[in-house]
Amino acid sequence: MAVPDDNASSVGQLEETGEAPRSLLGGLGALVIGALDAAKAQYSVFVKTLYFTVRGAPQKGAVVRQMYEIGNRSLVFLCVVQAFLGLIIVYQAGLQTLRVVPDLTLLGATFLELLVKDLAASICALMLATRVGAGIAAEIGSMVVTEQVDALRMCAADPVDYLIKPRFLASIIMTVVLVMVAGTVGYFAGMGSGYAFFGIAPKTFVNFSLVDFGDLTVGLTKCVAYGAAIPVVSGYCGLSTFGGSEGVGWATTRAVVNSSLTVIVLNFFISGAGFVIFGG
Amino acid sequence: MSSTTSPSNPAMAPLRAIGGSFLAASEVVGGMGVLFGRITTRLVRLRFDRTELVTNMYKMGVKSLPIVIITAIFTGGIMVIQAAPIVQRYGAQGLLGWAAGFTTLRELGPLLTALMLSGRIGANNTAELGTMVVTEQIDALRALAIDPISFLIVPRFIAIVVTIFLSTVFSDALALIGAAYAGLAILGVDPVVFYNGVSSGLLGVGDVFHGLTKSIVFGMIMALSSCQFGIATSGGAPGVGRAVNATVVVTAAGVFVLDYLVSFAIG
Amino acid sequence: MIRLEGISKSFERPVLKNVDLHVPEGCLYGLIGPGASGKSVLLKIITALIRPEAGKVLIGGRDVLTMPDLELHEFRKGIGMLFQNNALFDFMTVYENIAFPMRRLLDLSEDEIRERIAERLKIVSLPGFEERMPAGLSGGQKKRIGVARATVTQAPVVLYDEPAAGLDPVTSQRIFDLLRAEQQAAGATVLMVSSDLDRMLTVTDRVGMMYRGELIFDGTTEEAYASSDPYVHQFVHGIPEGPL
Repeated sequence: MAVPDDNASSVGQLEETGEAPRSLLGGLGALVIGALDAAKAQYSVFVKTLYFTVRGAPQKGAVVRQMYEIGNRSLVFLCVVQAFLGLIIVYQAGLQTLRVVPDLTLLGATFLELLVKDLAASICALMLATRVGAGIAAEIGSMVVTEQVDALRMCAADPVDYLIKPRFLASIIMTVVLVMVAGTVGYFAGMGSGYAFFGIAPKTFVNFSLVDFGDLTVGLTKCVAYGAAIPVVSGYCGLSTFGGSEGVGWATTRAVVNSSLTVIVLNFFISGAGFVIFGG
Repeated sequence: MSSTTSPSNPAMAPLRAIGGSFLAASEVVGGMGVLFGRITTRLVRLRFDRTELVTNMYKMGVKSLPIVIITAIFTGGIMVIQAAPIVQRYGAQGLLGWAAGFTTLRELGPLLTALMLSGRIGANNTAELGTMVVTEQIDALRALAIDPISFLIVPRFIAIVVTIFLSTVFSDALALIGAAYAGLAILGVDPVVFYNGVSSGLLGVGDVFHGLTKSIVFGMIMALSSCQFGIATSGGAPGVGRAVNATVVVTAAGVFVLDYLVSFAIG
Repeated sequence: MIRLEGISKSFERPVLKNVDLHVPEGCLYGLIGPGASGKSVLLKIITALIRPEAGKVLIGGRDVLTMPDLELHEFRKGIGMLFQNNALFDFMTVYENIAFPMRRLLDLSEDEIRERIAERLKIVSLPGFEERMPAGLSGGQKKRIGVARATVTQAPVVLYDEPAAGLDPVTSQRIFDLLRAEQQAAGATVLMVSSDLDRMLTVTDRVGMMYRGELIFDGTTEEAYASSDPYVHQFVHGIPEGPL
């Protein structure tokens, strides 16, 4: 199970032997190879998940149960985060805009565009990566450590089919729903902030003129991509757990880090593709 | 709780749930407050383990570098992509540096650094302390008359705050460099124009200070919540998982709430 | 029935070194040895849950390790396994736990499944436990549910990893008697690993001893007791002084 973390620790050990320049290069090489290996294993889990989504054995109620888990665990958390994000952004953006132009009439419209296109989905996804990602890795990791995953295999049930697939489907659906709900909460919080700090009337603030088809498509694509990536990345971290209760802790940490990084990288590529396709 | 309201009354269920979560939240905040008090008394008297401090600084700081680098560079790129339509709409190439500058320095730098490192550092710290608790290593320390707070918690607290602060400085710089070159690639804005935008009179030392103050606050909330949940772990391997989960959630929520409060307080 | 040829496996350092083992059909075979001598790994290699670096695993004459995935699924239908930590699915009731292998591996109606579960639970003397959750059971009860799940498909080959770990002597003896009765009723080939060898050896036909990744003894239970090999003699009789 080559993961970047393990290789990072070998960098440290090499450095302590006093061969800093060469070991740094060697460590970097090990890091890259480790990352490539992990990416390859990760990719095969993703392909397997897709395969079982089409061909796997259906399980009664598993997806609904996971949807409840994901939604119920995260709704309040995401709403709180988005509300504060809305408050902060409108406050900071208003403050900065006033330094250049004294006109805040387009603040609401710009805020909405940014929310739809990026912030609602990406910030929610970062939160879900920690909340849901850590949960999935801890759950699957404990099952690995207690041999429940081996028992599944003995019953001819592939752990990807049985454990990751329902979470994958549930996560895609719930990410879209949660982003919409929490984004709405964030929008109203921003509106309140605009009114309280800068006296922008809600009538001026509510302005859909800048949101177009491209923004909606990019926003929705991000929701689906993040929703798909988080359970696959953290499920893989969970399945590659080894070594007792300590191992479950490491797997959880790795799941949080890897799924957050995946969100950032996906954001970059989807935003870039959106810019190229829709031209902004 | 059930002594005051009849548990069979379904109409009271939501109220009970709200009351229950309020109590739980108070317990967390209270626990973190008490821990902060204990840490401060030891910090003031300089009673903490220096070897542990160095080990943790190395572990947390050096090993977080890849995450900070990737996050900062990609964030710089994303920022420019998001700003591109606005810049093109108004032909405001000269303002790109300013916009990227204030977004990075005041908000995104500290915020994203804290959020990304909450996994690598916060969760990891909880997992480590939690494992020590469930394997009775903390009890063993107490039995040897070693104060676990001086020995384990204070060094970690300092290491986390310092790491988040330094990582923020680092990622501010990297994100701006990333944005400058993304601006060149996507919008054809010369990096020189970009740097002029950053260093023009619209941005001041105040903005840098604003962001760095936040990063210290974020580091403190992360350190407190991860140590608190770590040493309060109970119930074997699943307990460690639960503690890690709680840490990342409380850190993330705390970061956003404090971000707002601090932004508002220092302007 | 089960035949291992030249199995080698290492996790950073060698765990199994060129192990040959043969368990004849209908035999209750006990594998003994000090901790970390590779017994559990050997069981997982037999089921292809762990892949060895070298060697062959033949069950009923078929090579397990070269099977493609689909065939492996098919083949695992013929093996029941009890895991060291029971591995009961903690999100399922006892009923669902025992029903799981039947649902996945056999084509039975719900009525047949219910009947079989009731019969299994009676045999492990836990009747009426269908709707309990594993978290609420004692260690011995979990073990017995694990035994019920491992034997419910009536597989011709059954593997038990530490069926009596962490149990008191009385419960432990009951479990071994139960396993023996099960094995004789089904005519199954059984391989079991246990540290509680005094009680395990009351039911086994043959015994093998592992030491540092090698099989150093293979013979009937009587031969094990009478063995003059210093390692086997010391281990079977529990003598503190000796080569171990």
